Amino acid sequence: MNVSVSAPNSATIAASAVQLARGRKPHRLTAGRIGLYAFLITAAIFFLLPAYVMLMTSLKPMDEIRDGAIFAFPRTLTFEAWWAAWSSACTGLNCNGISVGFWNSIKILVPSVFFSIAAGALNGYAMSFWRVKGANLLFAALLFGAFIPYQVFMYPLVIMSATLGVYNSIAGIVIVHTIFGMPLMTLLFRNYYAGLPIELFKAARIDGAGFWRIFFWVMLPTSTPIIIVAVILQVTGIWNDFMLGLIFAGRENQPMTVQLNNIVNSVTGERVYNLNMAATILTAAVPLLCYFLSGRWFVRGIAAGAIKG
Amino acid sequence: MKRKFWQNIMATLSLLPAWAVLLVAYTGSMIWSIQISFTSSRALPSNNFVGFDQYRRLFSTSRWLVSLENLVIFGVLFVVICLVLGFLLAVALDQRIRFENGFRTIFLYPHAMSFIVTGLIWQWMMNPTLGIQKSVRDLGWESFAFDWIGSRDLAIYALVVAGVWQAAGLVMVLMLAGLRGVDAELWKATRVDGIPAWRVYISIVLPLIKPMIVTSVVLLGIGVVKSYDLVVALTGGGPGMASELPGKFVMDYLFERQNIALAQAASTVMLITVLAVLVPWLYMQYFRKSGRSPT
Amino acid sequence: MKHFLKAALAGVVIFAGAGVALAQEGPKAEVIHWWTSGGESAAVKTFAESYSKAGGVWVDAAIAGGDNARAAAVNRMIGGNPPAAVQFNIGKQFDDLVDKGMLRNLDDVAVANKWKETLPKPVLDAITRNGHIYAAPINIHGQNWMWYSKGAFEKAGIANPPKSFDELFADLDKLKAAGVVPLALNGQVRHMALIFNSLLVSRGGHDLYIKVYKDHDEKAVNSPEFKKVVEEFGKFRGYVDAGYSSRLWNDATSMLIKNTAGVQFMGDWAKGEFNLAQKAQGKDYGCVVGPGTQNYIIGGDVFIFPKSNDAKQTAAQDLLAKTLLTPEALIAFNLKKGSIPSRTDVDMKAFDQCAQDAAAYIKNPANQLPDYGLVMPPDVVGSIQDLIGEYFTDPKFTPDDFVERFADAISAAG
Repeated sequence: MNVSVSAPNSATIAASAVQLARGRKPHRLTAGRIGLYAFLITAAIFFLLPAYVMLMTSLKPMDEIRDGAIFAFPRTLTFEAWWAAWSSACTGLNCNGISVGFWNSIKILVPSVFFSIAAGALNGYAMSFWRVKGANLLFAALLFGAFIPYQVFMYPLVIMSATLGVYNSIAGIVIVHTIFGMPLMTLLFRNYYAGLPIELFKAARIDGAGFWRIFFWVMLPTSTPIIIVAVILQVTGIWNDFMLGLIFAGRENQPMTVQLNNIVNSVTGERVYNLNMAATILTAAVPLLCYFLSGRWFVRGIAAGAIKG
Repeated sequence: MKRKFWQNIMATLSLLPAWAVLLVAYTGSMIWSIQISFTSSRALPSNNFVGFDQYRRLFSTSRWLVSLENLVIFGVLFVVICLVLGFLLAVALDQRIRFENGFRTIFLYPHAMSFIVTGLIWQWMMNPTLGIQKSVRDLGWESFAFDWIGSRDLAIYALVVAGVWQAAGLVMVLMLAGLRGVDAELWKATRVDGIPAWRVYISIVLPLIKPMIVTSVVLLGIGVVKSYDLVVALTGGGPGMASELPGKFVMDYLFERQNIALAQAASTVMLITVLAVLVPWLYMQYFRKSGRSPT
Repeated sequence: MKHFLKAALAGVVIFAGAGVALAQEGPKAEVIHWWTSGGESAAVKTFAESYSKAGGVWVDAAIAGGDNARAAAVNRMIGGNPPAAVQFNIGKQFDDLVDKGMLRNLDDVAVANKWKETLPKPVLDAITRNGHIYAAPINIHGQNWMWYSKGAFEKAGIANPPKSFDELFADLDKLKAAGVVPLALNGQVRHMALIFNSLLVSRGGHDLYIKVYKDHDEKAVNSPEFKKVVEEFGKFRGYVDAGYSSRLWNDATSMLIKNTAGVQFMGDWAKGEFNLAQKAQGKDYGCVVGPGTQNYIIGGDVFIFPKSNDAKQTAAQDLLAKTLLTPEALIAFNLKKGSIPSRTDVDMKAFDQCAQDAAAYIKNPANQLPDYGLVMPPDVVGSIQDLIGEYFTDPKFTPDDFVERFADAISAAG
């Protein structure tokens, strides 16, 4: 049997199951349907309100903001705050906006996401399909570790990374993100693989495939959905990190959030709300984009795998 | 047979990095931090052991006690409301509605915002002299009041509102995915039997999507225990210390207040609490009925 | 393609910029500080200029928030890659760094530049450990100032600023009657504590303040004088508005600027806000120490210099420590910062009236009081601030409970 054929099959089955919403016929507009839409719209307003306020504020000049009507539509539209936030807002003596940190954030993000997910996938695979002594203990302990505030680890980790010679470097911050991402990623993949049919694995074994071959040729190709979930979670977490980047990345590699903090949390003078909001939206742009593009896959990914966790 | 042996060795080897991280980074740091809690360290670690002094001091600090009480209120409300709202939204989205993609993105996008940003924006909206209260009053309803962040009794609920806004979407997506995995045949069968839909959801569907609920609770629980940024940005722990949480207590004493021994004592207490809650629960969820026997 | 070209060009420019910095001769000092706002940046810029005039290269590392900046700096020292200099608040914040031998001893620079002869005693004490000097104090921020809005005072028919707390309470009542928020307050407990300490100095006097904060004397805390201060502090609860808890201190200052509030207790960094809004001292707003005292609670900022094996870094540090405390550098910096120079031998001609008053007061050692952060460790200061905040926000909190818990809190200072 050719294992690489059977693998996509199961993914297709899972995906097609996902696409079916609950098997009821759409009704005509009954009272129930109206109530349903009323609920959805009310909820949507609750979720959208802050985004609306942020966007409107970022487009207003400061004079208008001082009037205090935060829900009002801007009388004069201006994109000045956006330009300023991106390229000329000052932090200390440097006035280059938050764009400085953008590439640093990307440089930290890409390898951190890759390694933490690779580690999680490998752990999850080895734990679910192979008889490894102490795997359950390892899993439970890692999961427990996810609950510890990482600030508590700061001091020993600084010493460890200094001993390894990676303190204040991209490598250092990537290792730290990989360590802190490992529990959650392992949880995701372990649950996902636990839900896959065991026959998939057995068939590959009978064909004589080994540990790595099964991982790369059978498991990874069927993991697309959960990988997308993992990417979304990690991109959000790592992109929004401030403290670890500040401490471990070094002065030349400070992520965007450090500049955001400098702009938003400088407490002297009038708070420049439009600039703050623009800087905030710009900083959130990468994870937001990630959500918009992959929202559909996100749902599909979870449904296809972790369901039987 | 020999081959199988080698493959299992390979599997064991592949977990070595995870073991290394666990033993060196997690366990090592944990032992170190517990040890610090028994010393008189201030800004930097010292080896002057003082027994349980820091713990005694911790439990006579009223701010710590307030923080613990708030943690229970915040934790329970945050997790329960997120689960309920997330589930209801998922069920609503699962009724073959129009614009499903649009609604789903709207409910999910706040999760892309960090807690700092969440706190900042909600602080502005809940500020009685700027935000919702002022806008409603300007519309003519003069006695309208929404001043939770300024109130000793209500500030903690302001944290819940902002937290739910940020996290409910993630729960919704997890639940929705669970619902999509439910066999279409099930719905046909229950319709034939004439069972009302709400009963099917409660007694059949909920148990089926239990793994998703478990995953949600773990994710939300991590958020509760680590909550620091949200408090700092939204209420600063105030008014007074009315909305302090343990995560902020630890951070304040680690850095600004330079008493890492007390901070580590506090985080050790949190660790033990988490352990006490988590271990039995995890055991039930993951290991008791893990029936699969690996090859 | 155009964007790519732009990015590539930008890269070249940055690269060239770095090349220039490297090619420049002279010692290079990376300085971590948390002066990130407009007025503060302007102040720190004067230091950078003074340093480059003296032949050095200032590498600026600004991180918003004192905690963040200090955490980054201390972790870099632990990680073996220390910056040349780090801003700290004057006081006990760097005790542990001295104990662990992580800081350079500045005795040589201090002797050569007469620090001992020119610094006020509380400042000198606060930078000295076991007879050696470990920090370069650059300014004095007075902690017991009261600011008032002339416009609001006019509305309430108040002609002269209060000369005592009795007069102040009468004025607050007038302001309230005139429909102005009497006391502009913000939500941070450390700023509520400023009011308490001002009251303690003005009502209880120099000696009670020293006994309570410096000697940790429980008898003084249990005295009727102290209790009276506590009771009087509670009266301020009636003079704030509903929105104070979600305000920052500068939002409160802007209430004075807009004449919607009467008075604010804040350190002299508040001057920066009035200056930004182009308000004139004596015309739009006024300042009072106390009110009702000439005792000046002294706080401020210092730079510390981490030990390093790099001879170049050490040379850069020597030059920096020397440069920062020259009268010219101090004047330029403090004019922008709103504080007064740490040295008492500096010509105050260029400064505003409030600053000149303060400099005159502290010429007399009997008027010099240390901020509580100079005489107690940060965790004790923090628990006192918590207590003051809790007392202020909870009207049911009795003065007797406050006294008892205050005594508990200072006993931890040892």
